[in-house]
Amino acid sequence: MEPQDITKLIVRTSMKDRAAFDLLYRQTSAKLFGVCLRVLSDRGEAEDALQEVYVKIWTKADRFAVSDLSPISWLVAIARNHSIDRIRSRRQPAADIEAVLEVADPSPGPEAAAVSGNEAGQIHRCLEELEDDKAAAVRGAYLKGESYAELAERYKVPLNTMRTWLRRSLMKLRECLER
Amino acid sequence: MTLTGEHGPERESDDLIAAEYVLGVLSAAERQEASRRIESEPAFARLVDAWEARLSPLADAYAPAEPPQSVKAAIDRRLFASASPSSAPRAGMWASLGFWRGLAAAAVAGLAISLALPYLQPPAQPQVRLVASLAADSSNVKYLAVYDAAHHNVGLSHLSGERDQGKDFELWLIEGDKPPVSLGVIPVGTATTVSVTPSIQQQIEQGAVLAVSVEPPGGSPTGQPTGPVVATGDLKNI
Repeated sequence: MEPQDITKLIVRTSMKDRAAFDLLYRQTSAKLFGVCLRVLSDRGEAEDALQEVYVKIWTKADRFAVSDLSPISWLVAIARNHSIDRIRSRRQPAADIEAVLEVADPSPGPEAAAVSGNEAGQIHRCLEELEDDKAAAVRGAYLKGESYAELAERYKVPLNTMRTWLRRSLMKLRECLER
Repeated sequence: MTLTGEHGPERESDDLIAAEYVLGVLSAAERQEASRRIESEPAFARLVDAWEARLSPLADAYAPAEPPQSVKAAIDRRLFASASPSSAPRAGMWASLGFWRGLAAAAVAGLAISLALPYLQPPAQPQVRLVASLAADSSNVKYLAVYDAAHHNVGLSHLSGERDQGKDFELWLIEGDKPPVSLGVIPVGTATTVSVTPSIQQQIEQGAVLAVSVEPPGGSPTGQPTGPVVATGDLKNI
């Protein structure tokens, strides 16, 4: 489905058009469920989160018009931010499932970067300019919504070191993307 | 280009917070604070949007997964509860919240259908539908405007921003250097439609801009905007 079509479905959803909302769900729920699952690492929680995400989409669809994001990026941002808020408010991460997923999908290969277009290729190129562990920390933080505290523990560095690392990496990324 | 040079160190640190928020590394309390700022500070919200856009290609790595059917059913129950068989007891339809909700939903659906009709039934002649998001850097007032040529109206939904006590928002159409034309006082906290005349329609289709100004109750006494413009935007084809 083309981004243009998803835009129309979101605009129609903002007008409380249920048929459009149903179609939007059919076209996008697998991607957003993938986001919730990856961040939350727990099927039941991901299902609850996905419900809340689509309730938000129904009630806040009109906000899409004031965003500069592409429609799918806007939807993914809602699902990611909701899932991250959820995982932050819970005490213990589901460590065992986390470990299982660890093996599954660290980063897309070069082919994936190539097919998803120029922009995508560019961010992967820019990540390559960072040191390996820093690029991995950025990817891991983005995909799983890991906090500074969790990353510091995993990389066995003090929290402030982790913060400095990632902040420098983010600024380098921005510079590279703006070149 | 560096943001430091243009906007000073404060802006630079805001940009970092926006980046950290999008990346997802902040603590629960820091995220709450950032969410609050996204709602109330348009400039900060734009920094966040820019980072969402920069990092969005990383989301390609999320493998799609089909959710169980029960999820959509649960969403529908939550949003459209009156259709649920296990809803309020039949003690009295008039006392049932579900009944009133259903009535309101039906009213809204009527509006939605009239707005969405050009999509649902491909019309014989091309229909013009334009969308504008009305906003301004200086305020948090936001409206979504949808111009529907076939029904000779502009649908408006109020997204955010309050007016001061004893003031009204008024909608204007501005074409080039010509004096603004009033489209009337518009409500806050709800959606509405404003009918437009053929001459206004012509101006809209030629690329006129919509703007919202703060006026005395009942609208501008002079026929021209008298208060500050709190939101503006041009209509784009969808």
